[in-house]
Amino acid sequence: MDLDFTPEDDALRAEMRAWLEANVPSEPRPAEVVAAGQYDRDWQRRLHDGGWAGINWPKDYGGRGLSAVQQMIWFEEAARANAPAMNSMLIALMHGGPTLIARGSEAQKAFHLPRILSGEAVWCQGFSEPGAGSDLAAIKTRGRVEGDELVVDGQKMWTSFGHWADYQELLVRTAPDSKRQQGLTWVICDMKLPGIDIKPVLSMSGEHHVNMVFYDNVRIPLANVVGGVGEGWSVAMSTLAFERGTAFLADQVELAHKIERTIALARKTRLENGRLAIEDDGIAQRLARLKADTMAIRAMTILGFSRIERANQPGPEGSMLKLFVTTTYKALSELAAEISGWGFFEYGDNRHSNRMTYDFMWSWVLTIAAGSSEIQREIIADRVLGLPRAR
Amino acid sequence: MDLLPGAEEEEIARAAADYLAGELPVTRCHRPDAELLSAEKRAEIAGLGWFGLSLPEAQGGVGLSAVDDIMLFIEAGRFLAPLGLLTSALAARVAAEAGDEDLRSVTLSGGAQVALGLAAPQDEGLLRLFDWKGASLVLLLGADRASLHGFDAAAVTPVDCLDKTISMGTIGADALTLRAEGGGLAALTGTLNAAAMLVGMAEAVLAMIVDYAKIRETFGRPIGAYQAVRHPCADMAVRCEAARAQLYAAAVSLRDGKADAAAQIAAAKLLANQAAVRNADWNIQLHGGIAVTAEHDAHLYMKRANLLARLFGAERTLLHGLLDAKLAA
Repeated sequence: MDLDFTPEDDALRAEMRAWLEANVPSEPRPAEVVAAGQYDRDWQRRLHDGGWAGINWPKDYGGRGLSAVQQMIWFEEAARANAPAMNSMLIALMHGGPTLIARGSEAQKAFHLPRILSGEAVWCQGFSEPGAGSDLAAIKTRGRVEGDELVVDGQKMWTSFGHWADYQELLVRTAPDSKRQQGLTWVICDMKLPGIDIKPVLSMSGEHHVNMVFYDNVRIPLANVVGGVGEGWSVAMSTLAFERGTAFLADQVELAHKIERTIALARKTRLENGRLAIEDDGIAQRLARLKADTMAIRAMTILGFSRIERANQPGPEGSMLKLFVTTTYKALSELAAEISGWGFFEYGDNRHSNRMTYDFMWSWVLTIAAGSSEIQREIIADRVLGLPRAR
Repeated sequence: MDLLPGAEEEEIARAAADYLAGELPVTRCHRPDAELLSAEKRAEIAGLGWFGLSLPEAQGGVGLSAVDDIMLFIEAGRFLAPLGLLTSALAARVAAEAGDEDLRSVTLSGGAQVALGLAAPQDEGLLRLFDWKGASLVLLLGADRASLHGFDAAAVTPVDCLDKTISMGTIGADALTLRAEGGGLAALTGTLNAAAMLVGMAEAVLAMIVDYAKIRETFGRPIGAYQAVRHPCADMAVRCEAARAQLYAAAVSLRDGKADAAAQIAAAKLLANQAAVRNADWNIQLHGGIAVTAEHDAHLYMKRANLLARLFGAERTLLHGLLDAKLAA
């Protein structure tokens, strides 16, 4: 049992710190969506030119090939340097690209991977549907093979950045009467194809980054299918193995900074009774408890890496971490809102008007997206505790 | 970097669990006035090296570390082992730090039962004692100073304790005679190992309800198939996971002399308190009526968890220290 970084890790941290100090843009991400998308691409380009694109990708595919611990160091240094988040590059870097690395053809890899790393291509996800969110295997969007094309009809939901993405990882049902996980196909969809109609879904934060995507006779070359027709479920699941417990690493690391910022806020904000928030016993205690929780999150993260290192695959413990991280984030957002008084309500329908209020609303995205808290509890009950199944 | 226990650390836990299951099973806690840690048992345990596990060999200890300590005390908690297991180990450390070889040898060999003393604000001029029956020494733990005292059992006013496995009482602070003094390491070690015991208790009650949820049926199904039971169980598992992970991090930071060891230990105790107290609560709730009966084990864990959550570092003190703490990378 140890928490020792290797000399190599320490040297890497110094290298990251120096590079980030010299390269993190001083201007914030613009509020306007198109400009924001360009900002994400520009940052990805700079990472690429600096040799930091795809830190979790194997070196053979142009990535940096860092270990899980080294990825944690990267996110710690990125948070320290206030570096831009992946934002609209996230699906390409963390999901689409890794899926191609695991299951794509040589031609698919050769075309897409360099474009993802350089920031040229933005990807979005096409998994969830109006009737298939938590229950992903219930998807109904149809794909039928016609000659050398896959013809798609249906609708996807919650497609983040779909309105400026170049490609989509699209999961469709190709066997008409197939049940559940069978008969699905994972295909790369060019978002410029005729028959694709994108409708914005405004979120409660006032921002537009999710969309409904409608498919009417969309003809996708069969060559874009990854892993074979009918293999969609296993292709979709293969990314999970690639993530190696690092999917929420940036959020986990960021929480440690968020708690210190909230403590600093409490030291300078006065309550209705004229006292500083930090002098209020109730607030001080909740802050300290949340600080303990963020410390535990770091320990859980490292414990998770350690398990993966031994078992060589992520286990169901990842669900416990996701549940704990998102619950902590939510509690911290609520406390920050309480401390800031009327300032909490000063919000102009985008994150730049009031980051703290935006984060308060973002907390529901975290507890619902990528497997809601209730789904995580089901996974824990089944796979960690071995309780009898209701389903 | 590897936060999982290694093979030798796992072996300490396994051996401890084996011994405790055979010699100090939880069923003993139901016996009225059962002697919980007899002189013979103390000597036997001393022979296993438990009282000096993390004490340097030069001081008569086994020479292992804080990490080995927690592996032992997690199991001690799981079996609701007597507090004396922990107080004896801390007493040996204080005696060793004070350079009192006789006292060190007595405590290491299990020759003395050690009570824990605590200055409680509501007990003006008095010290509150825990596990004092049969004890010949009182251990007081302060942030910078720990001390061992002799006392006269006749001067103790016995007070019935909610936790029937613990003897409680009060004594005038002036009725103690100082025997040895040490530094702040004993208190830190005490907080860490109490956290370990609480983690073991949190895991024990989770195992208890999971076993029951698989066999107890209502409306024709095992209750473990209902989400109203499954989801609280999942939350119990998360509390265990978070508390155990932070406990590991805290033990490593103490062993390696990290600057933030005190903060890591404070966080570990806070998480362990929550895990043990909340899990003991849910264990009773999800069992239903059977768990409020005296013959069931559930209340033993509830009572001990609430007691231990207040000993070896009060919540308020731990929370206060944590706010300002700077964390090492």
